[in-house]
Amino acid sequence: MRNDSKRRSNYTESTNATNLNAELERNERNHLVNVQSLLTLLTSDPNLKNPKARRILVNMAKFTIATIFVASISLLLALTRSFSVENPTDRRILVLLDDLALKSSHSIFFTSLQARGFELDFKLSDDPKIALQRYGQYLYDGLVLFSPTTERFGGSLDVAAVLDFVDSGKDLIVAADATASDLIRNIAAECGVDFDEDPSAVVIDHGSYAVSGTEGDHTLIAADDFIQSDVLLGSTKIEAPVLFKGIGHSVNPANSLVLKVLSASPSAYSANPKSKLSTPPSLFGSSISLVSVVQARNNARVLFSGSLDLFSNKFFKSPVQKAGSSNKYEKSGNQQFVTELSKWVFHERGHLKAVNVRHHRVGETDEPAIYRINDDLEYSVEIYEWSGSSWEPYVASDVQVQFYMMSPYVLKTMSTDKKGLFHASFKVPDVYGVFQFKVEYQRLGYTSLSLAKQIPVRPFRHNEYERFIPTAFPYYGASFSTMAGFFIFSFVYLYSK
Amino acid sequence: MKISPAEDSQAMARKVGIIAVLLAVASICEAVAIFHPISESHRSAALELFSPVAGSFSSLEEAYEALRTFEVLGIEKKPDVKDHTCNSVVDTLSLMSSNSRDLYHALRVNGLLKCEISNEALTGIVSRLKDAVKDATSLLDYYHSIGGLLLIKDQSSEVDVLLENADGTLRSIKALSQSDGRWRYSSSNPESSTRAAGLAFETISGVISLAASAIDETLIGTLKKDIMKLFDSIEKYDDGSYYFDDKHIDASGHQGPLSATSAVVRGLTAFASTSESLNIPEDKILGLARFFLGIGVPGNSKDLYYQIDTLSHLENNRVSVPLVLSLPATVLSLTSKDKLKVKVSTVLGSSAPPLSVKLMQVFSSGSKDASVLNKDLHFDPKEAIYSLDDLPEGVDIGEYVFAFEIVLSDPEYKRKFATGGRTKVPVHVTGVVKVDNAKAAVLEGDVVESEKKLDLPGKNDLALSANHLQKLRLSFMLTTPFGKPFKPHQALLKLRHETGVEHIFVVENSGRHFEITLDFLGLVEKFFYLSGQYNIDLTVGDAVMENSFLEPLGSVELDLPKAPEKATQPPPQAANPYLRYGPKAEIAHIFRAPEKRPPQEVSFAFLGLVLVPFLAFLVGLLRLGVNFKNFPTSAIPATFAILFHGGIAAVLILYVLFWLKLDLFTTLKTLGLIGIFLMFVGHRTLSHLASTSAKLKSA
Repeated sequence: MRNDSKRRSNYTESTNATNLNAELERNERNHLVNVQSLLTLLTSDPNLKNPKARRILVNMAKFTIATIFVASISLLLALTRSFSVENPTDRRILVLLDDLALKSSHSIFFTSLQARGFELDFKLSDDPKIALQRYGQYLYDGLVLFSPTTERFGGSLDVAAVLDFVDSGKDLIVAADATASDLIRNIAAECGVDFDEDPSAVVIDHGSYAVSGTEGDHTLIAADDFIQSDVLLGSTKIEAPVLFKGIGHSVNPANSLVLKVLSASPSAYSANPKSKLSTPPSLFGSSISLVSVVQARNNARVLFSGSLDLFSNKFFKSPVQKAGSSNKYEKSGNQQFVTELSKWVFHERGHLKAVNVRHHRVGETDEPAIYRINDDLEYSVEIYEWSGSSWEPYVASDVQVQFYMMSPYVLKTMSTDKKGLFHASFKVPDVYGVFQFKVEYQRLGYTSLSLAKQIPVRPFRHNEYERFIPTAFPYYGASFSTMAGFFIFSFVYLYSK
Repeated sequence: MKISPAEDSQAMARKVGIIAVLLAVASICEAVAIFHPISESHRSAALELFSPVAGSFSSLEEAYEALRTFEVLGIEKKPDVKDHTCNSVVDTLSLMSSNSRDLYHALRVNGLLKCEISNEALTGIVSRLKDAVKDATSLLDYYHSIGGLLLIKDQSSEVDVLLENADGTLRSIKALSQSDGRWRYSSSNPESSTRAAGLAFETISGVISLAASAIDETLIGTLKKDIMKLFDSIEKYDDGSYYFDDKHIDASGHQGPLSATSAVVRGLTAFASTSESLNIPEDKILGLARFFLGIGVPGNSKDLYYQIDTLSHLENNRVSVPLVLSLPATVLSLTSKDKLKVKVSTVLGSSAPPLSVKLMQVFSSGSKDASVLNKDLHFDPKEAIYSLDDLPEGVDIGEYVFAFEIVLSDPEYKRKFATGGRTKVPVHVTGVVKVDNAKAAVLEGDVVESEKKLDLPGKNDLALSANHLQKLRLSFMLTTPFGKPFKPHQALLKLRHETGVEHIFVVENSGRHFEITLDFLGLVEKFFYLSGQYNIDLTVGDAVMENSFLEPLGSVELDLPKAPEKATQPPPQAANPYLRYGPKAEIAHIFRAPEKRPPQEVSFAFLGLVLVPFLAFLVGLLRLGVNFKNFPTSAIPATFAILFHGGIAAVLILYVLFWLKLDLFTTLKTLGLIGIFLMFVGHRTLSHLASTSAKLKSA
């Protein structure tokens, strides 16, 4: 009996541990196995009569349980540092490289991430130990794929696993280059980004290449056609062009979740620079996207770049001069561009939350259970933006509330007090039914807010209509004068002689 | 950590992917790449990567790496860490608990900083290190203790560091060597490593220079063979750089081509300095130098140290010193009459011995034939640059591969320096391409309907119109500055419909004449039967064309037949993201208008009218002479009569109250009560009245 209860407690301990398991390494798992085998031994072996041996075994089991307990607590502490609703910035990032030399040649990018508090876990993309999740829990909040040539990931990772990762709201950065494998192309295609199918094609631009004494084939592009969005690229304007060398992609026009962040110039085209161009290029002009982002409906963010060199120290530091322009920049815009964009991807910017949704009649404070038609009401909501470390009031003048039943009856822009509070007041329409207060806030680069609160609206009660209508006074007059006449007549009739 | 060269490190390392590309390049020539010697960017990177925290480095090993890198790069403005670091050097050397590894690193730092350490202290350390050599079991033990002794030998001439049993030590180290040229770290560890081989050679050369007596010559001979064997496992990149790879990755981390190659080069140069006549092919030495130069500027301190330290060993080695030929610019413009400039220097960027550079051959890309030139480049001692005033004859705009050769006049230098034979460098010669005879015409059959001259590159404003039975023809001619036909990589004509649908065509050429004819009859389906205005853009561009242009030519108004039912729909155009996310138009509810009512005056007037009959009734009653003579006179009937009429009045007042405020339920309830009361008193009153009148009649 005692053993039985012990085993049960051990079971709960171990399920705790397994549910939370993110860093429980193999030795802990061995412990678990030990405990289980020990206890099975304890309960099942009737020959184990020696009380001393039994005590030792029980003590060992206790010790192991304690180890697991400590491990699970430390695990809990580790987990609290990761991505959550209240603290949406990613923490743990898996970086997959196809060559560890990238760690050195792209060190500025990685160091800047580490300086911002991210824990980077570098692995070779064919490392058999790669695992995104263990026991149903994701080990990472973000994934960086700097492994364009990888045909197959090691471990259990494949296209479906990467997409599941994104589907669970995690973030992804994918960089390809001229040697991009089908694997990388497939991941991109699943997200609505189609890299040029010709494996030998790269983006060439004879109009806006980067002037360089040593790169003569115009595949090193100085791109400066950025998306106009402060939330994606930061409020500081990127002055210098961004150096790009790699392959182009097109975004599916039907997909409204993909955004072109960096587009090629109108004179660009995607072709093999070594061979003659005999058929029209499949990608040309400003429809070529060099860098795109996707924000999924679950607010997972994905970045696709056709160039891995875009993130490299060499490009970060090299001076840039765009062809045909006399402006020479000491440093390319790559570092600013990549840093700002990575802030967005890892939810350090553009992540909104809405709290304290309130509505009441004008002059009251309590939220009614039902509104009557023609009531005047006030609706308010507080919206905050995550700054990477704290929630800051969100300031915008375009947040709109809808009073909605099948279609919006009222759609009103809310005014803000610049401290995060948005409010609007309006009159309930003279239509009764079950309405909803809806805030559907979708802005370029921001996470989407979708608030809905159901509220019924009733018509006037019988005694709520107007009582003394002047137009009806003749009728009242007639009735009451008849009544008075009747009263007088009753006297006259009965008592007059 | 695995490191491989990476100016284009990724490209290089990803051998598989790039093989196709490289094969194409290799068909022209086998090694086309430029390696630039160490430059200013390395110096700024060194200062950035080796930044001491609060005046000191985290470990003596790091301190040595930093100081050594600064020394090799000749950085004057280095951070001042001497006091702090010397303190920790003295601490480490005086501590009895520090092992040979700590002592080795401390002595290395001391070798650079020249801290004040007494000879007695050094003597004590020497005896400790000698004990360590005796007790050593692994290669690293030997490496650190022998290395330490060697450092003391360099730092102080008064301490006796010579090893008595050099032969025995050498043999016990030699026991770790493997048949494939690699070495093991210790006898208990069966895995062999290239890096270990490098460390072993360095250790062995240390033992040789520390030996008190002469070393067995046959032993040195077998060691030389070992080195040659190691070079069998050298690996090669397609750009001509050589490196050693270490498959074996152990716990100490930094294991990869960079550390392995660095260790081998150190071992090799150390070994070469102790013994004469080490025969390493000069292309291997040059290839190793290229490997380290090919990484560019590494992003972490360890890699930078490996790169800089190894290059300095290569520069000062006794086998052969690699010379690097580099071009400051490989894009030469004919318009600005750029000179072909070549720089020859050692790997660290110091100037080369007197030599001459020859331009041997010029390959034109796309064609195999090469013109043999054998032209001497003119040396400008002021800038230490070899230059060619005019490009060789026949070099028009285009992509070329120039083959250079370094010729050393002095036979002594010839032996000392590795030049690597021919160096092939890709060169782009750019210039302005002349565009002539540009015309756009609308054809009906073969008859020209209308023709317009175009000014290219320049502003044009075509306004053509055509129907589906006509054709549009665009033609122009391109010639190079030398009057040869020019074929640009990009010659594209783009038609863009108002709705945003774009069509692109390649303009074909015959010789210098470029022409494209759009037969709209065949294109109707491709154009999705979309009539209307099409904007025409012409793009002509090439890597060597300085005046590449994208010019809007104007527009053509197309009149195409109506789309049949089954025609394909034009593809959807991407929505403008800025518009898609904007705020929506506000919606305000329109309330039902209240019913129209007459003015109040009318209602009141009618109220007055309605009251008139009542007044007339009262007046009539007065006129008739109403009296109350019939009212009961006796007390009880009178009371009942009053109660009866009071009851009627109460009912009427109840009606008024009902109108004013009461609801139906209260009213009916009260009415019921009053009704019962009324029935009773009414009955009494009326029966009284009836009996009175009956009495009257009978009387």
